[in-house]
Amino acid sequence: MKKRRHATGLLQPSAVILHPLCYIRRAMLNLHDYRLGNGLRVVLNEDHSAPLVAINIWYHVGSKNEPRGRTGFAHLFEHMLFSGSEHVGNNEHFRYVQSVGGVLNGTTFFDRTNYYETMPSNYLALALWLESDRMGFFVPALTQEKLDIQREVVKEERRQRYDNVPYGTAFERLLNLAYDEDYSYNWPTIGSMEDLGNASLDDVRDFFTTWYRPDNATLTLVGDFNPDEAKQLIEQYFGDIKPGGSFPPFTLERRPLGGERRETFASPVQLPRVYRLYHLPKMGTPEWIHADLLTTLLAGDKASRLEKALVMEKQIATDVAAYVLPTEATGMLMLQATAQEGVDIAEVEATIDAELARIASGGISSDELTRAMNRAEIEYAHQLENYDTRADLIGMMSTYFNDPKRIDHWLDAYRAATIDDLANIARKFLVPDNRVTSLFVPEAA
Amino acid sequence: MSIDRSIAPQPGPPRPYHFPHVERRTLANGLRVLVAENHNAPLVSMRVLVRAGADHDTKELAGLASLTADLLDEGAGDRDAIQLAEAIGLLGAALGTGADWDASYISLDVLSRNVEPAIAICADVTRRPLFPADGLERARTERLMELIQQRDEASSIAAKRFSKLIYGEGAYGNTIGGNTETVERIAADDVVAYYRAHYRPNNVSIVIGGDIEASRAIALIESAFGDWEPAEDRERPVVTPREHAESRIYLIDRPTAVQSEIRIGHIGVPRATEDYFALSVMNALLGGVFNSRINLNLRERHGYTYGARSSFVFRRQPGPFVVSAPVRNEVTRESVTEVLSELRRIRTGDVEMGELEDTKNYMIGVFPATVQSSSDVAGRLLDMELYGLPVEYFDRYRENIAAIGKEEVERVAKKYIDPDRVIIVIVGNAAQVREPLATLGLPVHELDIEGRPIA
Repeated sequence: MKKRRHATGLLQPSAVILHPLCYIRRAMLNLHDYRLGNGLRVVLNEDHSAPLVAINIWYHVGSKNEPRGRTGFAHLFEHMLFSGSEHVGNNEHFRYVQSVGGVLNGTTFFDRTNYYETMPSNYLALALWLESDRMGFFVPALTQEKLDIQREVVKEERRQRYDNVPYGTAFERLLNLAYDEDYSYNWPTIGSMEDLGNASLDDVRDFFTTWYRPDNATLTLVGDFNPDEAKQLIEQYFGDIKPGGSFPPFTLERRPLGGERRETFASPVQLPRVYRLYHLPKMGTPEWIHADLLTTLLAGDKASRLEKALVMEKQIATDVAAYVLPTEATGMLMLQATAQEGVDIAEVEATIDAELARIASGGISSDELTRAMNRAEIEYAHQLENYDTRADLIGMMSTYFNDPKRIDHWLDAYRAATIDDLANIARKFLVPDNRVTSLFVPEAA
Repeated sequence: MSIDRSIAPQPGPPRPYHFPHVERRTLANGLRVLVAENHNAPLVSMRVLVRAGADHDTKELAGLASLTADLLDEGAGDRDAIQLAEAIGLLGAALGTGADWDASYISLDVLSRNVEPAIAICADVTRRPLFPADGLERARTERLMELIQQRDEASSIAAKRFSKLIYGEGAYGNTIGGNTETVERIAADDVVAYYRAHYRPNNVSIVIGGDIEASRAIALIESAFGDWEPAEDRERPVVTPREHAESRIYLIDRPTAVQSEIRIGHIGVPRATEDYFALSVMNALLGGVFNSRINLNLRERHGYTYGARSSFVFRRQPGPFVVSAPVRNEVTRESVTEVLSELRRIRTGDVEMGELEDTKNYMIGVFPATVQSSSDVAGRLLDMELYGLPVEYFDRYRENIAAIGKEEVERVAKKYIDPDRVIIVIVGNAAQVREPLATLGLPVHELDIEGRPIA
């Protein structure tokens, strides 16, 4: 599998949208995009093919907005937002949604936090009531006990997904290497145990007041509803929520790496694995899109460059993966490969570098480019197929690009890509000075 | 425009829902075809179901079914492995192969404009695999590396040990992927023999969901698979569960663990049980959904875990009933106690109408959301074929759930859950959890990660 999940979530099966692309049948999604008086952005996409409605809110806040000493807080906060609000009791949010056949979740990443539910379409008003109550009336329901319980749940999430699994801390280690401490992509959304322990009720209130407000959110509806009725309901439930004041100043400036940063980390794993992170321009730039296509060409099936060289031909690695991350402030390309038993990980790295050099010198066939474009196209079609993933994509376009309708044109840059565009990514970005490397090796017995 | 926020809004009238119409056809060679149209996206999902899986693996050749499936796309027809991948990629398709306990599969997802050439490749992979010697060696090495890596994965260790302890030596008693010795033993002849015995049209169903007219889909399958020669039928091996007179704890030490992986359960029932709907409702209420008793207890009341759940794993023959939870070391004993108390409580007849209605309404309401995509639809058709469900099954699914009453839930809880004869597997830091576990009053056996007793 090419995709990897790095977002933290309330529940385990949380999907992160990585690869928006083109859509063939519906050339245009016919979105209705408007704002309420308080600044809440609303996007409606009517579609009656199933008796369901997806309700999705993106708040433009994530782990990069966490104050110092509070890593992991944005995600802990996301858990708190499921613990009730003024008119919704503790655990009642879940009960209201699930007891009518709805499914729900929330996820947190560097730049955003999303909350969503898919409901039988006759329960649209219930979902809007729940989402608006926690957007507008969350603070009165806060208690220390709820915070303490969710803190423990999040610590268990960290243990389960990071600390108790082989290679579980690789992403965290790469971020530590790739960013200085003053750049808030330096830590993963799960945060540190110590900082989670220090989070207080005041922190929760402050974070809510600063970031959880209608003028920092996009509400997207996809599915079986009447747009006029939906607009009226949305105005009723969200219209009287007050916008916030000015946002705190926030700037990020990444200093150059000054050469490759590299570490070797001994841990309880059986096989050595190389992890690399290459810096890229941010998501949505032409370079990021070309890099996205390039990762598809590098890994994902037996004919892809690195899998063919490492796994099929030389047989020195057991698996390889490459992908770009959907990040707003700056971009990242991730690459990893596991050495076969008895193989020197240096040989794996050398083979990867030789393939990247071939690509940089223009050694890409037009068939390879076509296959990469095809794969992107089918992945995108899958994302638009279901209401929930489609709504999430719209929320992302609105939040990162201030343009929900970009969903209709997103593919253009992929289709226009040339062999030289991809070679250029290898020449310009996939070079040692622009990467950090973490080698996971087995502990000495 | 002010509204009263203190009252949850009432729903509108429910909108009608129907599972897509299913078209069925049996070809002259016995191959069955099922098609359900779904034109939401320009995609077609096709699954080839071979009704034999790891249940046919012998103890000596555990892993054979899955290795055979892995090798199908290592070369087929006139293409080698890489040429196959290239051809599939040029069509905007994804092809996968694999085996689970009851069946082997070839799956194809493709842009609907390219469905015809993609089916031709899928027919090559299904009917004309080359099983090249170098492909076997490569796949074998890859499998051995996977097995090595699983030694460090607590959840994988727990699942393997639990399964072996409840199934013993018979079918379902191995692991699907086999073990180091058996994978090293499997020869090319074994792969070919498995393939010849089971991959034949009268043992195969092909299901298609998505953006294609049913008549065209059937014609394409007829043309690509119609001349495949049938062979004689084979018997299926039978599951021989172990009997346990009492509950027991099995502790597997992982000195670096910061969590205990807990598995608690025993053998369950086959998918074809007449109690399927009652069991599904009962399990959802007990531990099958977020707001279930076990998860609310361990996660939301105590903060012991990121998630705990119970499931009846439905297979052709009785699958396991298992409660699973990763919890921090310090609360391992408490978590076992809480799970056991929930297993006892569900059998005492204390199911409340409110939680029962909530659970049923969830299962009824959520069903349409689980069959939106073409691959979702194809998955339901697979269930029909694998478990012999009638054609109207999924269209009636919701009314069958609605018909389950409190007495039914309590009856199946008493009948199918036995908290006094459970196997409890704990993979964790033995130095930290050994003494607390000993206070539970149950025998504790310590095993290594391969299941060998430690003196």
